[in-house]
Amino acid sequence: MEYEITAEDKDATYVVLPAYNEATRIQPVIEAIAEKGYNMVIVNDGSSDNTLDVIMQSKKKYPDQIHVFSLLINRGVGVATQTGFDAVLKFNPKYIVSMDSDGQHSADDLDDVIKPLVTGEAEAVIGVRPLKDMPFTRNFANAIMNLLTRIFYRVDVSDSQTGFRALTLDALNKISINATGYLISSEFIREINDNDIPFAEVPIETIYTPETQAKGTNVVVAFKILLQMIKHQF
Amino acid sequence: MFLYAFIFPIISIIAIVWFVARYLKGKNSLTTVVLWTIFWIFVSIFSIFPEVSTRFASMFGITRGLDFVIILVFVILFYTVLKLYFIVDKMQNDLNKIVKEVALNNEITLEDEEE
Repeated sequence: MEYEITAEDKDATYVVLPAYNEATRIQPVIEAIAEKGYNMVIVNDGSSDNTLDVIMQSKKKYPDQIHVFSLLINRGVGVATQTGFDAVLKFNPKYIVSMDSDGQHSADDLDDVIKPLVTGEAEAVIGVRPLKDMPFTRNFANAIMNLLTRIFYRVDVSDSQTGFRALTLDALNKISINATGYLISSEFIREINDNDIPFAEVPIETIYTPETQAKGTNVVVAFKILLQMIKHQF
Repeated sequence: MFLYAFIFPIISIIAIVWFVARYLKGKNSLTTVVLWTIFWIFVSIFSIFPEVSTRFASMFGITRGLDFVIILVFVILFYTVLKLYFIVDKMQNDLNKIVKEVALNNEITLEDEEE
């Protein structure tokens, strides 16, 4: 019989949401996660719009489930996620998830993503986006990034640039993330591999809109990640 | 004698004095002062006696003195850019640490919002 995620499992799970200028998109994301019964650590990455106000509006509705931290200035998705991973330790979580806050990930996938952690099947999970759902330019950039992750970090995964990941507290304590920008996705995979953390890939739904399209891994970002990967070799 | 034979030595003297003054105020390391002093002395020598650069050039297998000066300037610029890159990189890392630390110590509560 398949394991069903319980309320206790959800209570022991914290979702880290880095948010940069997501005022128009973040509210449904937060509230969908809260409705599912999960806790959240939201890190406002020095947004110049009213993202923080929007987050606080949601916090009023779910005061116990939402914890908010705010970077004074924009430092990139990597630093925001690192801050979230550090902040989450204050709440003694068992499972930690990180998700994008722009609405491209569905809260409905949370149960599936933490399931391998709860059942002990894996200590880290990456949510894999089906390639067929991805627009061509993204697909191409991701294929390059998967190849680069294979060359530089010697790990073969089907989606190296996913922002949807989950790990146990033990695994979180083992890994060390230094990337400040989008390199974090590849670095996360490298750390899991280097520390021999058992990991699983779980297929997730990805919702692409023109707005989410504007962010994330395009060819320019892919090139920047390549430069950082080369730098990290030294 | 060309005009630059006067201008460059004057600039060199000002630059050296400036570096020494910064060193005395504790803003520069001694290595920086020595390296820049050597650089400006060479600039003065090359501008007063341009033919000296040809002699230096031949030491490195370069025929024209001017080519030697240009290559030298490129090397120095490259070194400066690289050094600046490392300084900026370190500062970025330090800044990240500070910004992270400030955020971690200040969880935003509903009371903060009301203020």
